[in-house]
Amino acid sequence: MSTTPLISLNTADKVFHTRHFMSRKPDTDRRVFYHKRTVHAVNSVSFDVQPGEIFGLLGPNGAGKTTIVKMLSGLVRPSSGTVWIDGIDVSRKRLKALGTVGVVLEGTRTSIWPLTPLENLAYFGNLKGVRGKLLKERARFLVDFIGLKEKADVQVRYLSRGQKQKLAICIALIADPKVLLLDEPTTGLDVQSSRSIKDKIVEMARAHGKSVLVTTHDMHVAQELCGRIGIIKQGALAACKPTEELLEIFGDRALEIRLDKLPTNGLLDGIPGVEAIEYPDAPESEPICLVTLEPDQALRSEAIYEVLERFRRDGLQLRGVTQRQSTLESVFLKVTEEESSS
Amino acid sequence: MTHMLSGFFLVMKAEVVRMLIIMRRYWFASVIGIIIGYGMLIGLIIAFMSQRERVDEYTSGMEGGMEGALGLMIGLWAFGLTGLFTQGLQGMARTGELEQVCMSPYGLVTNFFARSLVMAVNSIFSLGIMLALISWTLGGTLHIHPVMAPLLAMLTFANLTGFGFMVGGLVLVFKQTGQIAMILRLIMIGLALLATTQNMGEWPLLARFMVHLLPITDAALCLKMSILDGAGYGVLQHSSFFFLLVSCVIWNVIGVTLFHFMEDWSRDKGTLGTY
Repeated sequence: MSTTPLISLNTADKVFHTRHFMSRKPDTDRRVFYHKRTVHAVNSVSFDVQPGEIFGLLGPNGAGKTTIVKMLSGLVRPSSGTVWIDGIDVSRKRLKALGTVGVVLEGTRTSIWPLTPLENLAYFGNLKGVRGKLLKERARFLVDFIGLKEKADVQVRYLSRGQKQKLAICIALIADPKVLLLDEPTTGLDVQSSRSIKDKIVEMARAHGKSVLVTTHDMHVAQELCGRIGIIKQGALAACKPTEELLEIFGDRALEIRLDKLPTNGLLDGIPGVEAIEYPDAPESEPICLVTLEPDQALRSEAIYEVLERFRRDGLQLRGVTQRQSTLESVFLKVTEEESSS
Repeated sequence: MTHMLSGFFLVMKAEVVRMLIIMRRYWFASVIGIIIGYGMLIGLIIAFMSQRERVDEYTSGMEGGMEGALGLMIGLWAFGLTGLFTQGLQGMARTGELEQVCMSPYGLVTNFFARSLVMAVNSIFSLGIMLALISWTLGGTLHIHPVMAPLLAMLTFANLTGFGFMVGGLVLVFKQTGQIAMILRLIMIGLALLATTQNMGEWPLLARFMVHLLPITDAALCLKMSILDGAGYGVLQHSSFFFLLVSCVIWNVIGVTLFHFMEDWSRDKGTLGTY
C-alpha cells in the first residue's frame, strides 16, 4: 500500500466576505443600510490522511468543518494554501481531482426520490463517468454491501432516513473513489442505522483501503471510528493526534477515592506525581477525594501507592477507588476551552 | 475535449433515462398536463382570434390563430428552457442537487448543456403534440421541413441556452436574481407572440434593434416562416436567419464565458450550494 497521503491540506485558509443590506451591524447592533462582514471560516489548517485511515474532524457548530469538506470536494476555493487529493491540486485541476473523491454532504438531498436506489446509482454513476456492465455490477455490489438489497427496487421516497443515508454513501462510492468525505454521516439516525453505517465505514477503510474523512458532532462516533482526530475551533486546528494519544494527553488522569471521613488537612501534600487534590461536594458520611495524577506512568504508579498508604496511616477506611474514564467528549471540551482561554 | 464530449453524451443518456422513468412512473400527470395545456391554449387562441378579426382584417381568423398558437408554443419553450437556468438552478441549490452536479468530473457547463438539450427535446415533443392538436382544431396546416425544422429548432435551442447560461451565471452567485429572471422569461413569451403575429418591419428602428437583441425574436420569425408559411430553404435567404446565427454565436460566447466566471466566483464566495 502506498504511503503518500490521499488527502492533504497545507495551510489552507478560507475567508468569506459578505455584504448585507438593510440589516443589523453585529458590533453596534444598529440597523444600517449597508455593511460588510468578514468571516475567517478556515484558518491555516494543515493535515494529511493516509490510505486506509479514518480521520475525524470534530468541532462545534460553525467551526469550519463543512467548509474544509467543501474545499476538499472543490465546492469552495481556498483563499490561500493548497488542498490535494491523491496528489492532485484541487484548486488547479478540480475536475481531475473529483474523479477520485466521493462526498456525502450533510442536510442535502443527495438522491432523486422518484427513482429507486439502483436507478439513482445508474444516474449518478453516469454523471461520474461510470457506464455499462461495470456500472451495473458496482451498483448491485454496493446495495448489497450497504444492506439495501431488499430495497433496491423501491422508490427512494418510501425509504427511511437511515436507508436514504446509506444510499447517499453508495452514490458517493459509485465511481470507486480512493477518498470518501462524510459530513455528519450519522446525524439524526437511530442507533441501529448509525451502528450499521459506522461498521460499513470501518470496512471501507480497512478492507478497501479508502481514506475516509468524517466530520461529526458525535463524540462516540469519532471515538469508535477514527484512528486520528483533528479538533477544530473557530476555523483553526486546535489539536490533531491519534485518538488514543488525545485521550492520554488531554484525558482525565484522576483517581476518585471514597472514604469514611474527611482526611486530616495537608495529608497528601508533597507526594511526587500528584498534580492536584480536590474534595468535591459529596455526602458527609462518604466524602470523595479526587486525586489528579501526572501523565508519567511510573510516577503515577508510585503516587497511587503513596496516597493509599497515607490514608491507611491516617486511619481512614476506603469505601471505593475508581479511575475516572477519559472520553473524547471531555477531551474535546478541554481542548476547546483551553483554546478559548489562550 | 473528447473527455468532455463523452461526458456530455453520458450525462445526456442519464438525463434521458431519468426523464423516461419519471414520465412512465407519473404518466397520468404527464397526460393530464398536456390536456390542461391544450384546453388553456385553445381558449387563449380563440379569444385571440376573435380580437384579431375585429382589429385586423387582412388575415383570416384561422391564420391569426395558428400564428398566435405557434408564438405561444415557442414562447413557452423559451420560458421552460431558461427556467432550467433560473428557477431550476435555484431549486437544485435548495435541495443539494446542484452540489452533486458540481462534483461531476465533467463540469457544470457540460452537465447543463446536456440537461437543457434533453429538456428541449422533451418540450418539443409535448409542445409539438399540443400544436398539432390546435392545428387540427383550427384546421390549419403545419409544414415540418425535414432539414429546416430541426436546424431552426437547434439554432433556437442554442440561442436560448446561451442566454440561459448568462442568466444562470448570475443566479449561481446571486440566487435571488432567479425571481427577477421570471420577468425576462415572461418577456420572451410576449416577444415570441409579437414576432409571429405582428409585422415588426413597421416598428421604429430602436424598437426593432432592441427586440432583435433578444434571443427569441429571430428564432420565432424563422420558425414561423418555416412551419406556417412553408418557406423551406427560403428561410436561409431571410435576414432573420442571419440575425439568428449571429445572436446564437454572441449569446453562447457571452453566456458560457459569464457562467464560467460566475461559477468560479461562486466557489470563492461559497454560494454554490446555498440559497
